[in-house]
Amino acid sequence: MTRSIASLLAERVVLLDGGVGSELIARGLELGRPPELWNLERPDDVRAVHAAYVAAGSDVVQTNSFGASPFVLARHGLGQRAGEINTAAARIARAAAGTQRLVAGDIGPSGESLPPVGAADPDELADGFARQAQALAAGGADYLSIETMIDLREALCALRGARAACDLPLTACLTFDRKKRGFFTLMGDAPGDAVKALADAGAAAAGANCSVGSEAMAHLLPELLAAATVPVIVKPNAGLPEVADGGTVYRQQPIQFAADLARMAALGARAVGGCCGTDARFIAALRDALSAPDPASPAGGDV
Amino acid sequence: MDTDELIAGQRRAILDGDARAAGELARRAIDAGLDLQACIDQGFAAGIQEAGRLFEDGDFFLPELMQSADAMKAAMDVVRPALLEQSGAAPSGPKVVIGTVQGDIHDIGKTLVATMLAAGGFAVVDLGRDVPLAHFADAAEREEARIVALSALLTTTMPGHGKVIELLEQRGLRGGVSVLVGGAPVTQGFAREIGADGFAPNAPEAVLEARRLAASGP
Repeated sequence: MTRSIASLLAERVVLLDGGVGSELIARGLELGRPPELWNLERPDDVRAVHAAYVAAGSDVVQTNSFGASPFVLARHGLGQRAGEINTAAARIARAAAGTQRLVAGDIGPSGESLPPVGAADPDELADGFARQAQALAAGGADYLSIETMIDLREALCALRGARAACDLPLTACLTFDRKKRGFFTLMGDAPGDAVKALADAGAAAAGANCSVGSEAMAHLLPELLAAATVPVIVKPNAGLPEVADGGTVYRQQPIQFAADLARMAALGARAVGGCCGTDARFIAALRDALSAPDPASPAGGDV
Repeated sequence: MDTDELIAGQRRAILDGDARAAGELARRAIDAGLDLQACIDQGFAAGIQEAGRLFEDGDFFLPELMQSADAMKAAMDVVRPALLEQSGAAPSGPKVVIGTVQGDIHDIGKTLVATMLAAGGFAVVDLGRDVPLAHFADAAEREEARIVALSALLTTTMPGHGKVIELLEQRGLRGGVSVLVGGAPVTQGFAREIGADGFAPNAPEAVLEARRLAASGP
């Protein structure tokens, strides 16, 4: 039987997964098309991405539903299909995860802004996230993972909506940029205040994902740890993006990423994984680094 | 209130993001017969530039910057017609066509840049998000735009920036139009590689870059 995320976090460092959208593009997803449509059209390809993470050692696979809130889907003219897309996302991940790994139902930002930047209504945001949460729960998610939020208030709306829709455990990550004065979300939320507020609002774990690579994330982590009353999650990108062939590539090697993340786990991060630019190679390297006898020097020298 | 105090108040109104005060202080400057260009340069525009600097440093964030831009716009809406009377200056600045490229539904950054450009005196035509690439060339031609500003949040959609430049070239519009690119994954190196004229890493710098492009001539 599947363990709960809370008991797993209490017992040891939990290995999350890596990027999903980029892996679907590698399998032929047309640029600009919502990746979540493949939950209906190409479920075997989505399942294969999850399966690669399971094989690499992920304790958790995240559903292909980052952009499947009714808000984001509506921008693609797919708002009415949010229910089936999210339920399919959870079913596919469930099939890949089996009973030994956990399925995290992924909830990303709405793309709408609360005042004064935009005119979004907090109750409408919570309602939309509730619809997504309900559909992910119906498809068999073990818990829900709210992430890449640029506004603490929106993350709190998502927690509120998800809590109203289901009884599953909830986790939440914001995304922080590095400014001269330190790390902040685009809306100005500081990491310490944010994880405290997320925990107070019922998140079973909280932390940071995306925006920065593993090196900058290592600088951000102490701020999270100092304030957190729940286990801390970190999911950085694969280093800094570089330009090549008219697009962006991430050139960090899995071994370096894994060494940085293993060090963060040794410092107290309880759930570690990757965001943009990471794939199953990164997760496999991280698995090895986490199981190395001395997590401070997991690579053992030669790469 | 003497002139210096009034101008300091105008700057403060922008920094405070107080649109009502900004509009009122603009009106007061007109009633007092002040040099409106000086009010803009030392008051309102100085305020918005300071807001941009605070944003880059991490003292201001999106909400503060947005409110400052709204206050700037409120002031300029009052000042612009009077300035036209006073100095015969053009009623609006260079025209910018702006949008988020096809396939990309993100528009928080693009909308902020559009607001900041409008606050900075540009005539802004906002095409919205997920804009078919040909529409940028259509709009540039129709609007006789001086600048086409392109945004993308995704690494997968940013190649659209380069395709818009190709379309402008194919239609023979490239000579009169400068292309400004931006968005989270967009870098100076990428801008150079695709042949864009300008790049900005954030909204305040996008306004400075647009000014530079407008001043450098087609």
